[in-house]
Amino acid sequence: MTLAQFSLGALALVPLLGAALTMVLPHPARRALGVVTSLLIAGLTVPVMISVISGELPELVLGGFEAPLGIHLRGDGLAAVFLGVTSLVGVTITGYAAVLPKSTGTYLSSTAWVPGHPGFWPLWLGCWSGLNAVYLSGDLFNLYVSLELVGLTAVALVALGGRSSWEPALRYLFIAVLGSLMFLAGVGLLVSVTGTLDLQQTRGELEGLEDPTLPLLALTLMTVGLAMKVALLPMHRWLVPAHSAAPSAVSPILSGLVIKAAMVVMLRCWLWAVPVLQGSEWLAWMLGALGAAGVLIGSVLALRQDRLKPLVAYSTVAQIGYWFLAFPLLLPGENDAAQLASGAYGGVVAMAVGHAIAKAGLFTAAGFLKDRCGTDEMSALRGAGAHHPVLILAMGMCAVGLLGLPISLGFSGKWQLATAAVAAEHWWVILVVAAGTLLSAAYMLRGIAPLLLQAEIAEDAPAASPVSVRERVGEIAVLVLGVATICTGLLGAGLSDLLEVGSWW
Amino acid sequence: MISLLDLGLGLAVLAVTGLSLIPRSRLVISMGFLVLGVLVAIVWLRLNSLDVALAEAAIGTGLLSGLMVWLAVRSPVPPGAGGMESSPRLPWLRPVLGLISGTALTVVAAAVWMRAEHQLPAWREPAETQLPASGVEHQITGVLLAFRAYDTLLESGILMLTAAAVLALSRNGGLSGEGTRQLGIHQIDSPMPPVPSALAWAARMLAPALVLLGLWLLFAGSTDSGGAFQSGAVLAAALIMLRSAQVDISVFTAHWLRPLLVGGVVVFVLAGLLGPVLGLPWLSWEPEWAFAAVLSVEVLLTAGITTGLYTLFLTLENPEGVR
Repeated sequence: MTLAQFSLGALALVPLLGAALTMVLPHPARRALGVVTSLLIAGLTVPVMISVISGELPELVLGGFEAPLGIHLRGDGLAAVFLGVTSLVGVTITGYAAVLPKSTGTYLSSTAWVPGHPGFWPLWLGCWSGLNAVYLSGDLFNLYVSLELVGLTAVALVALGGRSSWEPALRYLFIAVLGSLMFLAGVGLLVSVTGTLDLQQTRGELEGLEDPTLPLLALTLMTVGLAMKVALLPMHRWLVPAHSAAPSAVSPILSGLVIKAAMVVMLRCWLWAVPVLQGSEWLAWMLGALGAAGVLIGSVLALRQDRLKPLVAYSTVAQIGYWFLAFPLLLPGENDAAQLASGAYGGVVAMAVGHAIAKAGLFTAAGFLKDRCGTDEMSALRGAGAHHPVLILAMGMCAVGLLGLPISLGFSGKWQLATAAVAAEHWWVILVVAAGTLLSAAYMLRGIAPLLLQAEIAEDAPAASPVSVRERVGEIAVLVLGVATICTGLLGAGLSDLLEVGSWW
Repeated sequence: MISLLDLGLGLAVLAVTGLSLIPRSRLVISMGFLVLGVLVAIVWLRLNSLDVALAEAAIGTGLLSGLMVWLAVRSPVPPGAGGMESSPRLPWLRPVLGLISGTALTVVAAAVWMRAEHQLPAWREPAETQLPASGVEHQITGVLLAFRAYDTLLESGILMLTAAAVLALSRNGGLSGEGTRQLGIHQIDSPMPPVPSALAWAARMLAPALVLLGLWLLFAGSTDSGGAFQSGAVLAAALIMLRSAQVDISVFTAHWLRPLLVGGVVVFVLAGLLGPVLGLPWLSWEPEWAFAAVLSVEVLLTAGITTGLYTLFLTLENPEGVR
């Protein structure tokens, strides 16, 4: 067994072990163990990344039982890319939460609500275990189990925000469970005609199938269920209260990573498990249309917000739209279909990865300001930038990534998507991307500009109190994510090569 | 092919489902749900799935109904301000829309299902040939703890983290009380509502029997139907009954709840690590010590599932005090 194969299993199981151990420890030890575990996970990501970059496809047959009996873990390009970005964001947020414990929520002691929630640590490590399991899984039922692990811990993490976050958390729970059940129903339908749960074997069996109606029904069920969990536009109403009511260290995890897990499963279903079916065009076109609506309506709704965290949450709804714009392009056209599809696919992944880093940074910054000033009303945050120049700089860099300006992965993603759209002569995609970019510039300006305005801050206002060393270190975490937003833009070309490893074509 | 009994069962399931959805009283809903669970367990038995029937009876019916009855006793009327009110202008719109979409979905799904050529699972044959190497004799236990042990591990992780969520939302956030090593959650001290003395007596009588049944299910699992999940559900039911009958088990909760909760997952991961240490893939058991590994994992997993399910029951107490 090679080191990369060992890491494939360890990436999911080490954080789960960490989560179990943190549960029996007192609060300071939980923080320490959390940081150690996060560094360990980042270390375990390295062998997998190296192996994939060198063109290998590490694969682990758990227990030595080959599919269809057992479960395979596969470290392909898609998995490696998301493992990498999850380690980057995860380590940064873990550090932020360890340095500023009050960003992890509030809990009820025997007398009062106390900031700094000890329950964050087991739940976050459990969530990370689920994320890694989703990326690596090569089995349909295991994808469902891993997705449940992510969804359940994410709901619980939202509920750490105190009394006001319980209702959004409950709403999120209903959506997450409903989405999972629809996905599971789709998996059940597929198994009934293929007799296997393995992704590759499922594809092989389905390609030999004459009648496409049952796989089509299964794909529809899985797509709708996952779209609920990703929060594609008409199913997005749960996201804004949940992501804005969550504690400061949780919102970046939710917006940056958790919805990406459902997106990865969506890509696995459309591109790996189910081959191109007759009649799936309308479904892809519907996703494309909903994506376009998401970009436009999400951006307009973001513009109308008066508070910073809901604004950032609506911007997530808009960004989700971009990923779905590409679905009509993933279908085979008349000319050079494979290249076109791979271009669109690369665009989707680049935008999702860029969004993970940039949105994590922006949400951390918004939560930081909310924790410090006691509110995220933008009118009350006027002039806050004077005390936090580093934070504002980092927010600006993240905004560059979200707008899709060069050099950032957001830019290369949009570029690849636009190129594919031109080649396929889908001009409307270009229009939506352009309109979305302009609108996002407007709402980013609306969110960040008040911080830069000169304002008379009263002596006793919380924003005027001296900034502690811990808070300065917390600002560095946001800066790391901001710098990473820009620097990852340089990796755009390498990303496409990486994605070719173990791709479906 | 379709016997009268099956037909009657199907109709009864539909009727009881309606009974557990339509009424406004929580007590009636809970009772409907209880009966539904029993019927569904019988359906599984008719389908020759003893393991699923056991799980359904223990977890789906037993524990879930326990939670629902508790809720119905504490607050019998559902909150009225929820989204379930019919809209004042077109009161018929929502039921009609629901009926139409439900019918359309059922018809489409049934038509597709009938048309498709179904295949038997491809893992049947390899499961039989590789069972001797897995250390267990019962095929379902083999799937749970050897062939697809990874799924089971993640699922027990889910149960553990659900309990972590319950502890996090309790008072003290799942930490020990000030200056002690005891779990400081509020549910341990909160008084239970008074119960008739006959119930308390019955609970004390039944508890040993339930523990015996739970242990039998656990050890039967390696050769026959049963296993960690069913056994854990029965043992958790015993704990819940003792607590409802005001038997003092707070010492158990304060000292043992958290270690037992995580023990199963920790040992499962460590047992999985034995494979890589010996140069095998993760979660491999060598035939020589497979039985020992599977048995110790299963025993600790049962303890974890018992405490996990019992912790879910604790969530019913409002941390801000009974209102």
